[in-house]
Amino acid sequence: MSSARFEFRVNGRPTPVPELPDDERLLDTLRWRLGLKGTKEGCRTGDCGACTVLVDGRSTLSCLTLAREVEGTSVTTIEGAGTDADLAHIVSAFDRAGALQCGYCTPGFVMALTGLVKERGRSAPVAELLDGLQGNLCRCTGYASIARAVALARSEAP
Amino acid sequence: MSSFELRVPASVDEAIAALRVEDAGTVAVLAGGTDLLLDLDDRRTAPSRVVSLRRLPWKTLDWVDGALTIGSTLPLRSLEEDPEVARRLPGLWEAVRNVGSVALRHRATLGGNLGRSAPASDLVPMLLALDAEVDLIGPAGARRLSVDEFVRASRRTALRPGELIRSVRVPESRPSAYLWQRVRPANDISQIAVAAAYSPSEHRWQLAAGGMPPRPVRLPEVERLLGTGVPSEPVLRAAADRASREVALTTDQRASEEYRRRLVGALLARAVRAVAPHAEGRA
Amino acid sequence: MTGAIRPDASVKLDGSAVYGVDVERPGMLWAALVPSPVARGRLRSIDLAPARALPGVIAVGPDDLAALLPGAGEPERPIFPREISYRNQPIAAVAAPTLREARRAASLVRVDVDPLPALIDIEEAFPEWPDEAAARSGHIIAHVLARHGDVEAAFRTADRVVEETYRTAGIQQVAMEPHACVASVTEDRWYVESSTQTPFGVREDTANLLGVPESSIVVDGTWVGGGFGGKGSSFLEPYALVLSKAAGRPVRLALEYAEEFRLGRSTLPSVIRLATAVRDGKIVGRRVRLLLDSGSSLPGRDFATGYSIGFLLGPYRTETFEVEGYGIRTNKPPFGPHRAPFAPQCAFAVESHLEEVARASGLDPDAFRAAHLWSDGDSTPMGQRVGPFGLSMAFERARAVAARWRAERAPGHGVGIGLGFWSTAVTAGGEVRLALTPTELRISQGEREIGSGSILSGLPSVAERAFGLPRERIRVEYSDTSRAPFDSGVYGSRTVSVLGQAVLAAAAGLRKVLAERLDATAPVELVVEGGEIVAVAGSRRRSVRALLLPSEAAEGILATGRHYAKPGTIDESRVVTGSFYPYSDFSGAAHVAEVSVDLETGAVRVERYAAFHDAGTVIDPANARASIEGGIAMGLGTALTEESIWSEDGRLENAHLLDYRIPTLGEVPPIDVTFLEGFAGGGPFGAKGLGEPPIVPVPATIAAAVRDASGAHVTELPISAERVARALKLL
Repeated sequence: MSSARFEFRVNGRPTPVPELPDDERLLDTLRWRLGLKGTKEGCRTGDCGACTVLVDGRSTLSCLTLAREVEGTSVTTIEGAGTDADLAHIVSAFDRAGALQCGYCTPGFVMALTGLVKERGRSAPVAELLDGLQGNLCRCTGYASIARAVALARSEAP
Repeated sequence: MSSFELRVPASVDEAIAALRVEDAGTVAVLAGGTDLLLDLDDRRTAPSRVVSLRRLPWKTLDWVDGALTIGSTLPLRSLEEDPEVARRLPGLWEAVRNVGSVALRHRATLGGNLGRSAPASDLVPMLLALDAEVDLIGPAGARRLSVDEFVRASRRTALRPGELIRSVRVPESRPSAYLWQRVRPANDISQIAVAAAYSPSEHRWQLAAGGMPPRPVRLPEVERLLGTGVPSEPVLRAAADRASREVALTTDQRASEEYRRRLVGALLARAVRAVAPHAEGRA
Repeated sequence: MTGAIRPDASVKLDGSAVYGVDVERPGMLWAALVPSPVARGRLRSIDLAPARALPGVIAVGPDDLAALLPGAGEPERPIFPREISYRNQPIAAVAAPTLREARRAASLVRVDVDPLPALIDIEEAFPEWPDEAAARSGHIIAHVLARHGDVEAAFRTADRVVEETYRTAGIQQVAMEPHACVASVTEDRWYVESSTQTPFGVREDTANLLGVPESSIVVDGTWVGGGFGGKGSSFLEPYALVLSKAAGRPVRLALEYAEEFRLGRSTLPSVIRLATAVRDGKIVGRRVRLLLDSGSSLPGRDFATGYSIGFLLGPYRTETFEVEGYGIRTNKPPFGPHRAPFAPQCAFAVESHLEEVARASGLDPDAFRAAHLWSDGDSTPMGQRVGPFGLSMAFERARAVAARWRAERAPGHGVGIGLGFWSTAVTAGGEVRLALTPTELRISQGEREIGSGSILSGLPSVAERAFGLPRERIRVEYSDTSRAPFDSGVYGSRTVSVLGQAVLAAAAGLRKVLAERLDATAPVELVVEGGEIVAVAGSRRRSVRALLLPSEAAEGILATGRHYAKPGTIDESRVVTGSFYPYSDFSGAAHVAEVSVDLETGAVRVERYAAFHDAGTVIDPANARASIEGGIAMGLGTALTEESIWSEDGRLENAHLLDYRIPTLGEVPPIDVTFLEGFAGGGPFGAKGLGEPPIVPVPATIAAAVRDASGAHVTELPISAERVARALKLL
């Protein structure tokens, strides 16, 4: 299987991966093969959400996903704001709300929130969005500025 | 240089064939992978082949004559997003939405959860209280077991070599509730959990408790005590007290036996009170 | 992007910020540590041959160091010990072309150990207070004792004596980014890129550990994904450097998250015995006894016992006292700094105890505390004069909020107030260089931003205030230890205080130069006109461009500033043995919490929270508020859910984020933050450090609210549902 050609889309671009071991995690493929270090490695056990990306618009823990399992799908990472309007809007809200400190959990939060907005719509109530973010851990902000960013993004929804 | 070979069969027959391993190596089944990949990292399992089920037509959700059939590889999030599930099986909906996180539920599956058969599974107690059944498919054909028969202990089920979980069938809609006690409101594992349901067709209660080894269990003695319809407070208190003695409890890192004893009674009473207004077609 | 609140928002939101774990160098090898299989023992032999047999694997163990590090000698704490002090202690290290191969190679190393009985639980080891014999047993690595006044008489003549025992759990920093570094050693240059709070500290530590001159070591800090004390000293760098030296190639060493837990050096468990004597409503005597699990800290190297014990007397006056503390050596990693190390645990014990003392004496707990609270000019128990201190005012404000919340509260809800104080590590000094060019004011310094904003936003805020120059014209520049001016590190809430003062010192130097060149006596301001910076002094005004000397064309006008504060003084005559530490800056904080307690299960939910902070002067309001919010959330974890659990053989059982629980978004309530200014600290414009104060009162506040809601008096941290249930006698 390792020799089988693998291709998926990353941030809107068709991305072949010439050599991809069957057991490689999507997280490692993104970071070390494709040089997309914006997706962060945290606990690697699915408990912190730092590695969250979108697979066909749905939030996914890339540490618990084999790269080969997302063959043919469209993956969006934090580097993809240029090709995803929902993502760009949320990034802007985080910036204006100053919703980060060390920034390590930030890509995971942004991707998780983007996924929720895609699933539930830009007008989804803030409480629902916050509820959906409980799988992302932050140690710096106490979640307060993140909640402000969610409210800001929501207040600007069409 | 992968530690295993990944196969992605396109049909059920191909999948069953892929589970057959001639040599001495082991095979593991990959549904959502949220448990398997952890086991691989812990080196708890070291299969030579992993069979992915992602191309099989089992990502389904069908209501037929009031019974719900859930395909084993349907992501839990899809179950959670279905308004009919929330309406007709509120306890199951509650149990599902408390598994891990949203991102986890985009990949985790009912089949995977049953196959892993964790003592603290959020889904098994509720499936027990719903009298759910598992449909299995293997080299010898198809068979159906109750979830109660299927789940044995941690990582032990009634699956035979070469068999796969195809779907889970919930025979009828029931007013139901799932209550758990854990440290955090979300993204956590239960110290103890109680599932309660009332069968409108059989006019009886189904209760199950989970959270500790070996596995979640039904509480037949407590069900008997509750009788039919809405129990009175004295009956409910007696039943809650009985529950704390019927369940085999243990002490572990998450909670002591005594505390679980206290919890199971409290949660049982609350779960029954939550369902009671909807039992016998009320409210 | 605006970068308005966080100048680093852009690189952190577009994924381009490179943290320690992201660094990649050509030809890089991946390293893994070989862990000790026992918590205590003697290494009989270690065989690296099976690891070295794998292609491309480099392995280094205790026998290889002499050849690799000729200058090393016998460091106090060798990087590969022969005496094993804790489980998973690194005893060798390997590097391989991939991480998988490195882990495999590490697992093949054959280790032969003579196990020895491990000491894990301090109460098992010392069920009674240690006596003379116990003190000589080798298990005690610190002993502190201080006294003042006739304590015996005070207790003898008291109306009421209350004695209690409190216990607190070990907790971990849990920064989201694990430790990571990449070392690239060449002929004469030991270069390491690392996620660290203290690049210069790492340089110094590493020089000592490896016997390499500091001048040959270059530490280059990366972006840091959280520190909280856990990245406050060298950790992985020596191993990576040694491997890189052996391999002749760059080597990456990062911990996986389970190793973060197992190897982490943080706050460890404690037993605190408090006794208080009251006469006529006044505290006349205090006795404090602290048993502190110090892990495998070395004797004489313990900072915690003597520093913490002062917090067990709290910000309260007492006529007489005796405090005694023992640091107990156990077979766990060494006690290390957490955010406001051990102070939250102390405040929890003191505040809960004083509430109990007040109630037992028939007094209102709030009035009782207010009557004894330090004011400016008071003497601390160790005889230090209390500097400007706003805690009384913060307490007053908190009481007003608490009264309102109590009046509104629902059944099962309770409201509590917790007080705390903290100091600022300003005696650890630092320096900055300012460079004024025609278009910007550049602050050159040697720290990376670890998250609080103190470097990238705090320092520019100081410069903005100093010169009146808008923020967009102020840039902070980082360089590694070979080029940056020295600084002690980002810890101890000192960054804005110390480096901010250094900025002001440099600013004064810059002003002097500008005044001379303008030939002016009026104070110099900087303004922006036509896209360039102009210096204005009274009626004199010239562009910076016009004021540059030819030699300054490239770099601009330079000025250096440094700040090394003098420590305060305690009354040494009160010290019987051990080291006690003076405070600098007295930063007070009064918190209010409303909680609901499930009276059937003991589960606690925090409903709302208010914090009043004695901040001196707030330099950077948005990031100051963010620091308080984050510190409180962290404190909620200490208060309610965080607890390291060790087995009898020294294995950390909950070495993962599922069973070591930090607060999630749903557990942190809305927090109202108020700053009280006017009680000046030693920082720029009277600022006080705000990184650590917010965590200090949190467990005390939650305990008070839980008691108000349910009557449960919990004397252990964390205040788990089960402990509340026990305190309510439900079990």
